[in-house]
Amino acid sequence: MGVIMEKRVKQFIWIFAIGIFIVVPGFTYSLGDFPRRSFLKETISLLTLLSFFVMILMFYLSRINRSTLKPFKMAKVLKWHKALGYIFVGILIFHPFFVIVPRYFEAGISPGDAFSEILSNLDKQGLLFGLIAWSTMILLGVTSFFRDKLPMTYKTWRIVHGILSLVFLFLASLHVIQTGRHMSAAFISLILLLSGIGIAMLIRRYILDSTSEKS
Amino acid sequence: MAINNISGCIGCGVCVKTCPTDVIRLNSKGKAEIKYPEDCQICHLCRMYCPVDAITITPEKSIPVIVSWG
Amino acid sequence: MGNNINRREFISLSGGFAGMAALASMGISGWGDNEAELTVDEIESKQHSCDVLVIGGGMAGLFAAIKAHDAGAKVLFVSKGRLGSSGQTPFAKGIFEYDPKNAKLTIDEFVEKVSLSAIGTNNRVYTRQLAEHSKARVDELREWGFFESPLYNKSFSKPINERQIPLMERITITNLIKENGKIAGAAGFSIDEKEVHFFNAKSVILCTGAGGFKPNGFPICDLTHDGTIMAYNIGAKVTGKEWNDGHPAKEKNAAASFDGWGDMFLQKPSTTDINIRHDLGVDMNYQAYVGGGGSMRMGPQGPNGGASVKGGPQRPAGLDNQMPGGQGSKPEGGKRPPKGKEGGAPPGMSGGVVGGSSAGMSIHKSEGLVPINDKCESNIPGLYAAGDALGSHMAGGIYTQIGSSLAGSAVQGAVAGEAAAEYSGKTEIQKLSKSKINTIQSEIFAPLKRESGYSPAWVTQTLQGIMIPNFVLYVKKESIMRAALAYVVELRESHLPYLRAKDLHELRLVHETRNMIITAEMKLKASLMRKESRCSHYRMDYPEIDHENWDAWINIFKGDNGEMLFEKQAFDSWS
Ligand SMILES: Cc1cc2nc3c(=O)[nH]c(=O)nc-3n(C[C@H](O)[C@H](O)[C@H](O)COP(=O)(O)OP(=O)(O)OC[C@H]3O[C@@H](n4cnc5c(N)ncnc54)[C@H](O)[C@@H]3O)c2cc1C
Ligand code: HEM
Ligand code: HEM
Ligand code: SF4
Ligand code: SF4
Repeated sequence: MGVIMEKRVKQFIWIFAIGIFIVVPGFTYSLGDFPRRSFLKETISLLTLLSFFVMILMFYLSRINRSTLKPFKMAKVLKWHKALGYIFVGILIFHPFFVIVPRYFEAGISPGDAFSEILSNLDKQGLLFGLIAWSTMILLGVTSFFRDKLPMTYKTWRIVHGILSLVFLFLASLHVIQTGRHMSAAFISLILLLSGIGIAMLIRRYILDSTSEKS
Repeated sequence: MAINNISGCIGCGVCVKTCPTDVIRLNSKGKAEIKYPEDCQICHLCRMYCPVDAITITPEKSIPVIVSWG
Repeated sequence: MGNNINRREFISLSGGFAGMAALASMGISGWGDNEAELTVDEIESKQHSCDVLVIGGGMAGLFAAIKAHDAGAKVLFVSKGRLGSSGQTPFAKGIFEYDPKNAKLTIDEFVEKVSLSAIGTNNRVYTRQLAEHSKARVDELREWGFFESPLYNKSFSKPINERQIPLMERITITNLIKENGKIAGAAGFSIDEKEVHFFNAKSVILCTGAGGFKPNGFPICDLTHDGTIMAYNIGAKVTGKEWNDGHPAKEKNAAASFDGWGDMFLQKPSTTDINIRHDLGVDMNYQAYVGGGGSMRMGPQGPNGGASVKGGPQRPAGLDNQMPGGQGSKPEGGKRPPKGKEGGAPPGMSGGVVGGSSAGMSIHKSEGLVPINDKCESNIPGLYAAGDALGSHMAGGIYTQIGSSLAGSAVQGAVAGEAAAEYSGKTEIQKLSKSKINTIQSEIFAPLKRESGYSPAWVTQTLQGIMIPNFVLYVKKESIMRAALAYVVELRESHLPYLRAKDLHELRLVHETRNMIITAEMKLKASLMRKESRCSHYRMDYPEIDHENWDAWINIFKGDNGEMLFEKQAFDSWS
């Protein structure tokens, strides 16, 4: 492959990634048939949705997606993976609180009361998935940050990291589909497709790895 | 159509209790559903009590409106 | 079945009210098969007993339950809707507080001025009681956090939870039960569970609020005078049905009560000072009528920008139409005071307006059970009523003091709570007889059993078509009222027995529809009887005040043969 050609492929992958994980969700959002609310509320929702799609993107920005990312240096990919991971995990940690932020600016139930009402409903399926996903996500962040200090080999860490992210994405997707206010059929299909492929890639990697080790 | 849309519902049931005219019920999936829209008096109590602001209400009534003159 | 349809067609062809009958068939189907989703056999019967049963979770019920409990009674608190989120209480934002320290008038002067505005229609004992007790109630509310949120469920729950008073919500009470001439309890059904509840109590306090014909624009569609009609059915005297609340609604989207009140529902409550007025009777209805309907406007000087139309309801001297209301409102903790309230036009109500937004409702506190003393007691031993369910005539047949309705419910709830607790302390409980329980249970659920029948929504809409027009309910004339009465009697006799219900929600509608029909009959008959015009009752054929014959309230009660009877009770006397 020539240098120019490689550059083109890289550009193409970039555009493709941005297209799938930002433009398509954004488009799906704008086509959805749900009430538009205030600027603040919609901004918060969009940020949450974007962060969620970045979480799916994490699967594609890792070694399990090596074949597609061939033109890139893996170190560079991982740099992006880490950077995006820390930023958007950081944002999503606050998502349960963001949900009640608009209540500070409008009459009705107070933000505190709204939050305790949410907490007292964590046993309901959609929120339960959200809660477990949220805890797993924090665990992902923490185990990544303290990777060097953890008493495990890099290989085990990767497996732990992979399993955690699998559990996380699976439950988070269910949570989003069940509770999200912007969930249209199109949105749900998009999420199922993207996280489905991500999860499948991970599982395939593990199966390949384990069979190749044995042979 | 009065109470118009519920999305982002967490199924807490507060709106069901709150609605004075019993317009909303939880469905079999545990989500709030607009069951009797014709009885909505467009008072917005459900919306104001909902912890996640899931309810949208429009000012039109879904059945003919009888007033004293027109 | 065919028979009834024919009857309906016959009426619409023969009656002078063909237009109304046509109105009635708008949108909603009438007679039809009943696809019941549950059977009567699935209903479970539950029994409860207590000293004092408080019915209704608004401002009056709150204080009734608390004060009865604090006076040592075992209280049970039951409501059709949620505590602080049903009835009219959730929407009232101004509460009157008479603070002797900085009041502009003494209590005597206050009572005098209210009586002047009310043209004698107020019961001075209750007017005085309001002023005397309001501050204490406001102070308690402040302690519970009432003034800190536009939503009242939390602050109302606080004192109830602290006292561990059992509270049952979403139970529609349909019957009061009398045994041996005394109150013995009540019965009703849950709209969530397949349950019927029988309450055995030494004393019952009705805090069920007022009601209307599920009108458009005033958020009272859950109130259908249930308490009044239940009490009437067991022999209680009822009053105040000829008065009219004259609140308007916006012409555009008249049914949108939230939008019609500007941002008032979003505001936190605050207290109001003395400011006596003569508001929201039927001036506007009269002006719309003689002005040929058309687009009514709310201007700064009231309807049609103060352009005066000759004749119509009379105002006492010195109480000219002042709009919009809300002066004298004192900000709570420096916050913006709510505008409007029950004086003047609702905030934000500029532009075209229509009448009938609160159709079926009288002036707050003027209609309901007749009190036999200053303790909110009815003529049935052990039965009390407070707030909008008590015909205390606290303000008379016209709105006089802004914020006094909410305050009055609090004050009377507390008075009734203490009185009922005292009564129950010296009374034996009256056992509920098995036969009565069985009859009531089968009556409550009969509409579920019906294989076909009229839908309550259709009958309600028919009733609205008959009653709500300006020329029937507001600008009254003998001939029209008689005609309307014929329709209402028809509904009572030949439709009410055939109401169908497919589920518990519709069953509630059936009982509400029943109460509205009886209320309509009361309103028409009382209005026919009062051959004068005063405050919010206006007769085209008797436009003058008649002090000689009509310095009296009208009481309504059920005769031995079930007929509706009427009597006069002189102002400032007890029945
Ligand atoms: C839009 C609006 C604005 C207002 N603004 C003001 C104001 O600013 N200031 C003011 O002083 N007043 C105002 N009022 C009037 C005031 O709200 C009422 O007078 C007062 O709240 C009445 O309180 P209550 O407890 O007597 O009755 P409600 O608050 O009406 O309560 C009645 C209760 O009884 C229950 N109930 C009814 N039927 C049954 C049944 N069959 N079985 C069981 N329970 C039943 C209901 O669920 C409800 O809980 C306003 C009213 C409205 C509608
Ligand atoms: C928060 C900061 C994160 C850091 C620092 C981080 C870091 C890493 C590193 C170093 C790898 C190993 C890459 C390799 O060796 O090939 C990796 C792999 C991976 N990460 Fe992350 N990650 C983070 C967050 C996430 C999140 C939130 C997800 C999921 C949504 C995720 C999903 C994955 C997946 C699926 C792999 C591939 C696993 C494997 O190769 O076995 N990561 N990550
Ligand atoms: C304790 C944890 C969580 C709670 C209490 C919670 C709560 C909620 C609630 C109440 C909603 C619906 C309201 C709304 O859509 O605005 C929602 C939607 C959503 N949540 Fe969560 N959540 C949690 C965890 C998560 C996690 C970990 C993610 C991560 C990916 C996530 C992503 C989303 C997304 C994308 C939406 C949809 C937003 C939309 O459709 O506009 N949530 N969450
Ligand atoms: S209050 Fe809101 S979150 Fe709770 S059930 Fe109703 S719509 Fe759903
Ligand atoms: S707006 Fe009022 S009446 Fe309509 S559903 Fe909500 S609470 Fe019920």
